Amino acid sequence: MLKRKFIILVVVCLFLIASSITYAESAEKSGTITIWSWDPNFNIPIMKEAAERYTKDNPKVTFEIVDLAKADVEQKLHINLASGVTGGLPDIALIEDYNAQKYLQSYPGSFADLTNKIKYSDFANYKASLMTLEGKVYGVPFDSGVSGLFYRTDYIEKAGYKSEDLNNITWDKFIEIGKTVKEKTGKSMIGFDLNDGGIMRIMMQSAGKWYFDDKGNVNLLNNDALKEAVKIYKAFADSGIIKQTNGWSEWVAAFNNGDVATVVTGVWIIGSVKADKASAGKWKVAATPRLNIDGAVNASNLGGSSWYVLENSKNRDLAIDFLNKIYAGDIDFYQKILTDRGAVGTYIPAQSSAVYSSEDAFFSGQKVYTDFSGWIKAIPAINYGVYTYEADAAIFSVMPEVYSGKISIEDALKKAEEQLKNQIKK
Amino acid sequence: MMGENTSGSFIKSKNRHGWLFVSLALILLGVFLFYPIVYSLYLSTTSSRGIVQKFVGFSNYARLFQDSMFILALKNTLIFFLIQVPIMLFLALILATILNDKTIKFRGFFRTAFFLPAVTSLIAYTILFKMMFSLDGFINGVLLNVHIIKSPIPWLLDPFWAKVTLIIALTWRWTGYNMIFYLSALQNISEEIYEAAKIDGADKVKQFFYITIPLLKPLILFTAIMSTIGTLQLFDEPMNLSQGGVTSATIGPGNSLLTLSVYVYNLCFKYMPNFGYAATVSYAIVLIVALLSIIQFKVMGDKK
Repeated sequence: MLKRKFIILVVVCLFLIASSITYAESAEKSGTITIWSWDPNFNIPIMKEAAERYTKDNPKVTFEIVDLAKADVEQKLHINLASGVTGGLPDIALIEDYNAQKYLQSYPGSFADLTNKIKYSDFANYKASLMTLEGKVYGVPFDSGVSGLFYRTDYIEKAGYKSEDLNNITWDKFIEIGKTVKEKTGKSMIGFDLNDGGIMRIMMQSAGKWYFDDKGNVNLLNNDALKEAVKIYKAFADSGIIKQTNGWSEWVAAFNNGDVATVVTGVWIIGSVKADKASAGKWKVAATPRLNIDGAVNASNLGGSSWYVLENSKNRDLAIDFLNKIYAGDIDFYQKILTDRGAVGTYIPAQSSAVYSSEDAFFSGQKVYTDFSGWIKAIPAINYGVYTYEADAAIFSVMPEVYSGKISIEDALKKAEEQLKNQIKK
Repeated sequence: MMGENTSGSFIKSKNRHGWLFVSLALILLGVFLFYPIVYSLYLSTTSSRGIVQKFVGFSNYARLFQDSMFILALKNTLIFFLIQVPIMLFLALILATILNDKTIKFRGFFRTAFFLPAVTSLIAYTILFKMMFSLDGFINGVLLNVHIIKSPIPWLLDPFWAKVTLIIALTWRWTGYNMIFYLSALQNISEEIYEAAKIDGADKVKQFFYITIPLLKPLILFTAIMSTIGTLQLFDEPMNLSQGGVTSATIGPGNSLLTLSVYVYNLCFKYMPNFGYAATVSYAIVLIVALLSIIQFKVMGDKK
C-alpha cells in the first residue's frame, strides 16, 4: 500500500516537473478566464475593454465575461462556496466593498491572497484596508464610490442662489436651500427614497463613523453621526422638499425628467445623469454636504466594488497576471473607461493623467474628475465590518415610526440596536 | 411441497423485479428529498458563517423566540394569511357561483378572463403591479382623475399601504385559480337541490349559504390548506414588489413585506450567511403549516 502511494507520488512529481518545463518553454500564456460581474452599462463593458487589452499581448488567452444581476452574483457565490465544489466557480468575481469582509470571513481559504502580488500603495488607501483580513490583502481595487452633490444650475439660480452657495455646505443648509428652490421653482430639491439607507451611509462615512465601531461592536445608540443622520432623514420627510421615489428606475427618472434640482450619490451615477441629453450644460457638481457635527468632512463614499480571484480556480495565476497588468498598471485603460463610462478608478497613478483634468461640457465646463479625485483623498477610511446590511435592515425597520412621530429618535435607535445585537449574536 | 416452493420463489422473484422497478425512483427520492430533509434537520442544530460551522444544539430554536426580525416576519405572514386568504376564497366562491349560473351570457369568456391571471408569471405580474402602484403610477392617476382621492396614495412607500398593495396583488393573481376548483365542484351539485330550495322559498343568498357552501366544504378545506401553505411560503411577490431599492436592505417600507421565506433568503444571501439558522427558520415554517392545517381540519373537516 505504502509502496503504491510512493509510486503515485513519484509519478505526480514527474508530471509536475515535466509540465513546468513545457510551461517554461512556451512562455505564451493560454487559458480561459471566467468572470462574474453585474451591470451591463458599467462593469461588464469595462471588463470587456480590459480583456481586449490583455488579449492583444496574450492572443491565446480567452475570456468569458458572464453578465448577471448583482443579487445573482452574490447568491451564486454563496451557494458554490458553501457547497465546497469549486467546479462551478469563476476565476474572477466582482464583490461590492460592503460585502468584502463577509465573503473573506465566511469562506476562509476561498480567495487568493494577493498581498505580495499587487502594489497596493498605488491604490486609494481605504480600498486596500477594506479587503484586508488578518494581515493579508485579497482582491484588486476597482471603482470608487466617491460621492458628490450634482445640481441643476438653472433651478438653483432661479431660486436666487449661486454655485458658491452650494460649496461645502451642511445638510441643514441643503434643506434650507431646498425650501427656497421648492418655493421659487416648484421643483423638488432631491429624489429621495425614505426607505433606502444609501444617503444615511454617505452621511455617516463623511463623519468617519459607521453602524459599528473600529472593533466591530454595534454602535447605533451612542453614535452622534447616525443620530444626526436620522434627524435629517426625518427633516426630509417633514420638509416637503423631496420627490419620494421607490427603487432605482423611479429615482433615475426623477432627475432625468428634470423633476428635481439635485442628486447626492456616488460618482458612478454620472452615466445616468448624462443620459438626459436635453439638460446638458445645466449640471454642475459640488462637494457632498456634511453633517453638522465635529469631524465631519465634505467628502464621502457610496458603494464601489473590487475584483477577487478564487483560490482554487484553474487559471488562478493567469487571472492574477491579467488583473495586475490591466487594473494595476494600465493608465491608458483607466483613461479610456473614464471617458467612455465615467468610471473613476481608485488607481492613483491614473489620476494625474490628462483626461482627469479635462473640462466636461455637460457639467458647464467644470473639471469634474479633478474635483472627484480630490474628494477621494478626503474620504474618511472606516471599517465597514461584516454586518452592514443587517444594520441597515434594523434601522429601516424603525424609520417609518420615526417619520410618523410615533417614537423618538432616541427610542428608535435603542430599538434598532437591540434588534441588531440579537441578529448578529451568534 | 414442491408447488409451495416454486410459488415462494416466484413471489420472491416478482418482489425482486418490483423492487428493481421502483428502486430508481426511490433512489432519486432519497437523494433529492429525504437526504435534504434530514440534512437540513442536522443543519438547524448548527450555527454557521459560510463554511465556518459550529454545533449549537437546540439554541437556534430558542433564538427564534428572541429574534424580533423573525417575529416581525411571522407577524407579517400571519397578517397576510388572516386577511388575504379569507377575502380571496370568499371572492372565488361568489365568482364561481355567479359564473355557474346558466342564464349568464358569455360564461366561457368570463371564466377564462378570471382564470387568466393564474397563468401569468409571478415575477411579471408583480413588476406590473409595482409600476401601476407607484406614486405617479396608473392607479393613483385614475383615482386622482375621478376625484376619489385628493393626494396620491403612497402605495409602496408606507408600511400600511404596502401591505394593502400586496394583498390586492395576491388576490388578483390567485382568486381565479381557486374559482376553477369551486366551479368544477359546483357542476357536480345537482340542480334538483336548488330547485327544491327555491320551491321552499329560499332566495339566492340563502341558497349560497345553506346549500353551496356546505356542499363545497371538502373543497373549501382543500383550497384553504393550499392557500395556507402558499401564504406561508410567500416569496416572489414581496421580494419583487420591494426590489430595486437603490441600496436598501429592507423588504418594503419598514420591513412591512418581510415574510418568513424572504427572511430565510436574507439569512442565506443578504446577511452574513448563516445556513444553520436559516434551516431552523425553515423548520419553523413547516411546523406552523402543519399546525394551521390541523386546526383547519378540526374546524372544517368531517367529525367521522
